[in-house]
Amino acid sequence: MKRFGRELSVTASLLVLLAVLAVTAPAFFGKQQLLATLTAAAPVLVVACGMTLVILVRQIDISVGSQFAVCSIIAGLMARAGYPMVLVVPASIATGALLGAFNGWLVAALGLPSIVVTLATFVSWRETLRWVREGEFVKDLPDRFQWLGMGQSAGQGVILAVAALVFALLVYGLGWIALGRRVYAVGSDREAARLAGIRPGRVTWGAFVVLGALVGLAAVLNAIRFADVDPKTGTGLEMQVIAGVVVGGVAVSGGRGTLWGVLAGVLLLACISPALVFLKLPPQWEKAIQGGIILVAVAADRGGRSRLS
Amino acid sequence: MSTAISVGKPSWWRSEFFLVGVLLLEIAIFSRTGSNFATAINALEIVRLSAEIGLLAVWMTPVVLTGGIDLSVGSLLGLCAVCFGKLWRDAGLPWPVAAAATLVLGALGGGLNAMLITRLRLPPLIVTLGSLSLFRGLAEAITRGVDNFTGFPSGFLDWGQGYLVGGIPAQAPVWIAVAAGVIVLVHYTVFGRALRAIGHSPEGARYAGIAVNRCVAWVYVLSGTAAGLAALVYVARVGQAKADAGTGYELLAITAVVLGGTSIFGGTGSVWGTLLGVASLAVLRNGLQLSDQPGELAGILTGVLLLGALSAEVGFKKFSARRRASVTLASSNSPS
Amino acid sequence: MSRIDLPSEVERNAERGAEVPLLRLTGVTKSFGAVRALKGVSFELRAGEVHALLGENGAGKSTLIKVITGAHAPDAGSIEIAGQSVMSLDPAQAHRLGIACIYQQPALFPDLTVAENLGLRLEPSTAWRRIDFAQRRARAVELLRRVGAEISPDAEVRSLSMPEQQLVEIACALGAGARVILMDEPTASLTRREVERLFELVRDLRREGVGILYISHRLEEIFALADRVTVLRDGESVGTRPVRDARGRPTLTESELIRSMVGRELNQLYPPRAHGIGEVVVSVRNLSCAASGVCAVSLEIRSGEILGLAGLVGAGRTELARVLFGLTPADSGEIRIHGAVVMLRSPRDAMEQGIAYVPEDRRRHGVILEMPVAHNVSLAVLGRLFRGVWLKPKPEQALALDLISRLGVTCAGPQALAGSLSGGNQQKVALGRWLATQPRWLILDEPTQGVDVGAKGEIHKLIRDLAASGLAVLLISSDLPEVIGMSDRIGVMRDGRLVEVLPGGSNASTVMAAALGRSDGDGKEGV
Repeated sequence: MKRFGRELSVTASLLVLLAVLAVTAPAFFGKQQLLATLTAAAPVLVVACGMTLVILVRQIDISVGSQFAVCSIIAGLMARAGYPMVLVVPASIATGALLGAFNGWLVAALGLPSIVVTLATFVSWRETLRWVREGEFVKDLPDRFQWLGMGQSAGQGVILAVAALVFALLVYGLGWIALGRRVYAVGSDREAARLAGIRPGRVTWGAFVVLGALVGLAAVLNAIRFADVDPKTGTGLEMQVIAGVVVGGVAVSGGRGTLWGVLAGVLLLACISPALVFLKLPPQWEKAIQGGIILVAVAADRGGRSRLS
Repeated sequence: MSTAISVGKPSWWRSEFFLVGVLLLEIAIFSRTGSNFATAINALEIVRLSAEIGLLAVWMTPVVLTGGIDLSVGSLLGLCAVCFGKLWRDAGLPWPVAAAATLVLGALGGGLNAMLITRLRLPPLIVTLGSLSLFRGLAEAITRGVDNFTGFPSGFLDWGQGYLVGGIPAQAPVWIAVAAGVIVLVHYTVFGRALRAIGHSPEGARYAGIAVNRCVAWVYVLSGTAAGLAALVYVARVGQAKADAGTGYELLAITAVVLGGTSIFGGTGSVWGTLLGVASLAVLRNGLQLSDQPGELAGILTGVLLLGALSAEVGFKKFSARRRASVTLASSNSPS
Repeated sequence: MSRIDLPSEVERNAERGAEVPLLRLTGVTKSFGAVRALKGVSFELRAGEVHALLGENGAGKSTLIKVITGAHAPDAGSIEIAGQSVMSLDPAQAHRLGIACIYQQPALFPDLTVAENLGLRLEPSTAWRRIDFAQRRARAVELLRRVGAEISPDAEVRSLSMPEQQLVEIACALGAGARVILMDEPTASLTRREVERLFELVRDLRREGVGILYISHRLEEIFALADRVTVLRDGESVGTRPVRDARGRPTLTESELIRSMVGRELNQLYPPRAHGIGEVVVSVRNLSCAASGVCAVSLEIRSGEILGLAGLVGAGRTELARVLFGLTPADSGEIRIHGAVVMLRSPRDAMEQGIAYVPEDRRRHGVILEMPVAHNVSLAVLGRLFRGVWLKPKPEQALALDLISRLGVTCAGPQALAGSLSGGNQQKVALGRWLATQPRWLILDEPTQGVDVGAKGEIHKLIRDLAASGLAVLLISSDLPEVIGMSDRIGVMRDGRLVEVLPGGSNASTVMAAALGRSDGDGKEGV
């Protein structure tokens, strides 16, 4: 349907990195290690899928990390209070959707710039959480919480399966369902979308709600990897997610980009930290390398495009 | 009739009214609730505490005026702080030399942003998001995540902890001089006018013969330099330099700028508004502390304030746009 | 105002089952605040007619379109579509009732393919529907064939030219089964040949019984195409009249139409040509710029002279102007100003040489809409007016007031935002900005595009006066009568080259032939 140049170049970078690792540090591909890397990346991917929607409609949400923490804590508290996981998961998703709906309402109905709105909610949610919880971990969780009570390897399987399912659903929805194509339409030209009978406000609002719901889901997927819930969880998540989406080739000007690119982008960034360990490089370089990759990716994209036109 | 017209006329005075009101309200409340709030010493303390965010915010204003954003200033502050420590302790440079080098480093960091934004025409949001990670990552890499530089000479620490005559904090002159400089630059010079033109319409500015790339590049270089300066002020105040210095400062600075009425889309805004924004944030934090309220409340109220100010601005713009639409029709219908 | 019996051309149309008009507006009134944009406008559109809508800028045409497409709700009056009274009309409903509008700037999605654009508009609005890409593509192919467009359905819209995008819009209207098609200045950015093709398409649509509401500033198009014409003035309908009588002879003259639009006799004559043409100001030799397609252009302009630049859209005229102003620097060739070779690498270089460029796209490049008039006119002289550094409100105010009165800008004052002015006044502000630089050479790119008739005449006089005061003027215009009437010599561009220089007042067909690359004026074949 489109040029897939960016998707291919990111995938190629990922493959090169994996090839280097295969030669220099085959232990990276050990089953345990690979699973650990992937399960750590799964929540980021789920959030990144939602963020893709929001960036496609030409908005941005930098409050996802705070939403993530709120959802994690609520999930943890509910689990500790004895609710079964079949209630905890929907509650977390609903909480996220609610927080997303609030952002979306401010952006779509009041017409406030999303970067500022989500900056405000980013600070507000995080600080509210700190105020209420005073930095306290949610401990003494029931056994059915961690790995859903299924043991590590089965739990990891569930996490990966859910992330894959979400990804597949969204790929299908964005590519083949009318509503998904409207997301592209709104991001491509808001006014034209309005004239085509699409309500851009609703689509924008919907994108924020979906992102929120996915943040709620991702929060559970992340929380069940641990024995306690850290109230500081999700700090910096927004940057990780936006970086993955942008490296994956989604244009911040809206309307362009695919989830396949986002998948490659998220995986590329997720591999850096373990790769540093296996290549015996100081792990503190992770962030610097991430930043470098973002800059190189966008610069290469633009450089290539200006040569073409 | 088209969307372009709905972008407002300079309505900064409105935002400033709003902020002055907020500030007065804060002072009125905290004077009652806070112990030792309404004292000269505390007022000066607020000036001291607001210096770093203030320096970043004041320089963020011209960046936002051009329609850009600089998310990397907090990280650059951290990187500069760490490098300053490294240069002084490990390279054994005298602190004034290390300080000068730190300013240069800040300028270079801003220069990297500037180059990517102007040469490759990349969106500032993405570029500075990338350099946010890069600078913070470099700071962590240099310190291996744990190194903490302390024990700076008192000659240096005096700049952040000492007092001048009359209990004026030592960093106040620097902070005020920089703020005054930016006010003059943005409001009283040709450069400031060019920034506004660029913010409203970069292409339009180019067609008017304004060196758009050069102006934008300068703005980011200066913003980077401000991060270097803020790093020095920060290290002098807290007496240590760690890799996480200034985390989240970029968001506080942007909050102050937007709160001050500068449009995030560029073109309209004022440094005075930013100063009021910085002041109302600092007073809020300080007043809550002195009223024995939890510090988190400051963060929450900051968010609420930001949304309130924005909603007020948008509401006002819608109102004036409607009025202007009718004026447009009136003027074009009248015989010329 | 005057009631005229319908001649047979229209009657014939009426016989084709159009007793009930497709669209009837009765007493439509719309106010914005205290201003009444439409005051009791009534008119009807029949099946199988091309109905022209005329009026100066600000006469209410745009508002009327928006009422018909449902974007604005009228305050009073009624709308009937195919005989049925419509209470409240919103864009989606208007779309369902078969009303389509082709805007000047096509409202398409630049990032999506042609097929996808058509699909988004035409397919059912159920959100959770699976898209049948094969069917969507087949439909797109069919519609594109009907409008005679050679466009791939898989092309991204951003890669299409403006006329191609317009064809996609029309395909979209056809696909929607539109009975009423509104065309808002559809030819503004089309070349002559594209205009011809559009006209054929419009005639086809008319034959199929579609009612077309055609809005244009170009009177010759109205005579060529329209069956009836309604003139709006100051929000009121001045009347509807047939364009031709039973034998196909015009029942109206251009000056009659213009008179009814402006409510006064207007001097359609162009100002007299200059007498005192002086020494050579600019001489350009073999100028080329590969990036913008300008190829080996040589020209010369003397002081006091207006060199017109004619050519089809895409012939490279704006591109040449951009090279001359340093926006896209030349690769090779030589530019001399008053005999001295100059290097123009940026607009700044060009300004230092006394070159001024009033660009084509007024709203994006010519003025900054969000800035006051005073700031707009001082923008190009910031350095000079303020000696480099400090802003001084007083000289700026004085400059603005001086230009406002010299150019006759109608505005609330120097502090009025440029965006609040009408098109013609914005153009004067754009011009004023460059007059403030006291240029030696003025490049004007489509100075009267989208400007109403009254302001057009004023701008023409202004240009001639400027030339008479000793400036060299390069006048780029797609308005053939304008370029012929105004210029002392007419350069014709084609494919990035300056192919011919004709004397002022040349025959329109001669100029057109040169622009099309044909030796005579009557060739039927393409280039």
